[in-house]
Amino acid sequence: MRKRTRPTKQGNSVLPIAINELEQLLQDNFPNNPDLTFSIYHHHGKIMAVFYISYMVENDKIENYILDQSLKMKTDWSTQTLLNEIPLSSGKTNTSIDDVLYGLLLGKVFLYVEQEKEIIEYVLLNKDKRSLEKAETESLVLGPKIAFTESLITNLNIIRWRIRSTDLVLEEIIVGKKISREVRLIYMKSVANEKDVNTMRQRLKDLDVDEIEDSAVLSQYIEDSSFNLFPQFDTTELPDRFSYAITKGKVGLLVENSPSGLVAPATIFSFLESTEDLYMRWQAGSFLRLIRFLAMFFSIVVTPAYVAVITYHYEIIPTQLLLSIGESRAAVPFPPLLEALLLEFMIELLREAGARLPTKVGQTMGIVGGIVIGQAAVQAGITSNILIIVVAMSALASFTSPSYLLGTTVRLIRFPLIFLSGILGFFGLMFGICFLIIHLLRLTSIGTPYLAPLYPLSLQDFNNVFYRLPFSLENKRAKFNIPKELVRYSKKEAKKKQDIDE
Amino acid sequence: MEINSNIKAHLQFPAFYLFFIMFGVQTGVGIMGAPKYIFIEAKQDSWVAILLAYILLIIIVSVMLLILKQYEDADIFGIQVDIFGKWIGKLFGTIYILYFFVNLLSILLNYIEVIKVYLFPTISSFILGLLFIILIAYCVLGGIRTIVGMIFFFVILTQWILFLLYDPISRMDWSHFSPMFQASFPEILQGTKATTYSISGFELLFILYPFIQNKDKIKLPLFLGLGYTIFNLLLVTVISIGYFSPVDLADLDWPTLSLFKNVSYSFIERLDNIIIFEWIMVILPNLVLLMWGMTYGMKRIYNVSQKSTLYIASIMVLILIIFIQHDKQVTMITDTIAQFGFWLLFVYPLFLLPIVLIKKKWRRQREDEKN
Repeated sequence: MRKRTRPTKQGNSVLPIAINELEQLLQDNFPNNPDLTFSIYHHHGKIMAVFYISYMVENDKIENYILDQSLKMKTDWSTQTLLNEIPLSSGKTNTSIDDVLYGLLLGKVFLYVEQEKEIIEYVLLNKDKRSLEKAETESLVLGPKIAFTESLITNLNIIRWRIRSTDLVLEEIIVGKKISREVRLIYMKSVANEKDVNTMRQRLKDLDVDEIEDSAVLSQYIEDSSFNLFPQFDTTELPDRFSYAITKGKVGLLVENSPSGLVAPATIFSFLESTEDLYMRWQAGSFLRLIRFLAMFFSIVVTPAYVAVITYHYEIIPTQLLLSIGESRAAVPFPPLLEALLLEFMIELLREAGARLPTKVGQTMGIVGGIVIGQAAVQAGITSNILIIVVAMSALASFTSPSYLLGTTVRLIRFPLIFLSGILGFFGLMFGICFLIIHLLRLTSIGTPYLAPLYPLSLQDFNNVFYRLPFSLENKRAKFNIPKELVRYSKKEAKKKQDIDE
Repeated sequence: MEINSNIKAHLQFPAFYLFFIMFGVQTGVGIMGAPKYIFIEAKQDSWVAILLAYILLIIIVSVMLLILKQYEDADIFGIQVDIFGKWIGKLFGTIYILYFFVNLLSILLNYIEVIKVYLFPTISSFILGLLFIILIAYCVLGGIRTIVGMIFFFVILTQWILFLLYDPISRMDWSHFSPMFQASFPEILQGTKATTYSISGFELLFILYPFIQNKDKIKLPLFLGLGYTIFNLLLVTVISIGYFSPVDLADLDWPTLSLFKNVSYSFIERLDNIIIFEWIMVILPNLVLLMWGMTYGMKRIYNVSQKSTLYIASIMVLILIIFIQHDKQVTMITDTIAQFGFWLLFVYPLFLLPIVLIKKKWRRQREDEKN
């Protein structure tokens, strides 16, 4: 627990106070609240009140350690003797009635002996949470499967166990004016770039909202540009991905009651990284990463290009191919633009339905939607088979993104591009692509350019972003993050070769 | 108005990007038709004319560098005010801005004409112009960092076009070049002059100079960039001369585009139709940097905010695009701006240099006298 540095308001404290007055005070502040347990005990002529909200605390601990011990005490009750006799380590004293009121909500138990100057508090919070489970939205083949939960304490526990170093800082920042929530700013003191940490801290502290619903909402409050299409914070539910980013000098955020952590600064390429690339052999890791980059490009371009070609530029298709395309399109009544939009819409429906339905039904959905409707649509002459292949491939490609947020953005971008291509052919498509590139160039994530290390160009950072080299060759952290410590380990040691018989 | 422009450190970019900026801003619509115009003047010895153009370019750019180095951190607008005084200096600055405007307009009109002739004969110029203006304005609004990044990306993303030249190269007839050295020296010079429109753009160095972070390392990327432009121009001109018959080449409107007509694969053909659209990426660096130069110049000279210049210039370009529809008008504007550009870009710096040097000397003498 962090010690509260708030100055104690000795002057306007209501203490000492009579027990029944205290009860009245609490009742006034929590009107109509049947859950506030306020019990009074007598012992050697002293009166003590114990109060808490029953479901916020661990009741059996109160009974076993607080009530049992204090009622059996030989000496008289006073703040000092109680603190001394009760076998719990988190005991503190408090004089501010506001802190007491707020503490009740945080799962604290309060003891007050009548006419004493201080109230004793114990943190015995009881937070119900789901147990640790396998990651669902970001699944991995290799590597740790554990995912964050909604409990901040559990998440911090996981992170501390992953990064066991005194270097790790977990700053507490309270966000939300009306309904406050604990946010933890997490970074490596000796690695993370000071500017990034300060920017993040400043944005969190300056945030003036009544409440934040989730970490994803928080990320939208503090991001650089709200009108941008692309996510500017890495959102992950994987502790290994989270801690990987932290140890490489990025800054992380964990929010209470949210099962996903935020990492910044993010670049467009960091969304396409998966920790799995590290667990693979470097050749396979590089290959998979490359495939993902290609998939994103492919997913954005292929349907619009099809629409543009079929609508305006069929002269670029050789006759043989044109014949087979013409044949498959012969019965289709729609113009290519409408046909493509229709199919893309259908794929989006399938995806959305699959995401909303329970897992068991979801699988059937895929079969019904993909095979039955697709086949039937072609046979009914509503769409051409070639377009079905194109649309299905581009949808598939968009699902290869390790980040669900980026995948969604990619699928969203397709629609205006299809539209532009349907109206202006390749001119529209090129316009869209140029616009997209300029759009990305203008974007930053907490001040770091979104397209780093491509622009600003930093060739030595290409390793670990576009491909992966064996570990003996990659001994540095990404330079564009401007980490305090660039070198991870000595390259000379790593490359040291042994002679044949040594 | 301040002579030195005092650019903030976070707006500066490394000299390395000058390679891309120079190539990106020089290569544009000019290179589409350049082989024809050079060939008309210098025939099969056009390559000599282009090499001569490179020498000329190196001289001019060295002169520009020399002028810029006489000042601490100044651009052409500041220098002219320092040399010619407030009124004439500002007038000359305005001439640069007007030149940028007309140049931008001519590039846009030329490109729209290409699209109309090749693919969409009925499309409205206004729509194409509007889309271009949206891209230009969006990029300029991002500031110099975005602009440099855009140029860097688009230059790299268009390099694949060069690979497709293997096809015309393999069909070249080398006998088109013989007999060599038939053109007289004036003809070669005429050929060199014909290249000026397609290698213009380096004048922006006069404005970009204060934005460069490490000015001591400027030379290598700068001259490499200029060299790469000339290399590309030389490549397409030589291939055009070898690939087309001399009679046809003088008649073709955009020989560079026609080079790609014959490239074909089993799944795709008529790549020239794709390359026309890829050319958007080739001309955007021109357009954006010219527009930015205008806004920045207006800010330096008249202290008008960059945004308002951007919007007003955009609207003016759009209106002019609606009225200038005829290809004869487009040719006329292009010829005029090419002529004017020759004097402004290639001749004017040669006159400016001695004045700058004399003024500096004079100033130093006066300071000595004071001391």
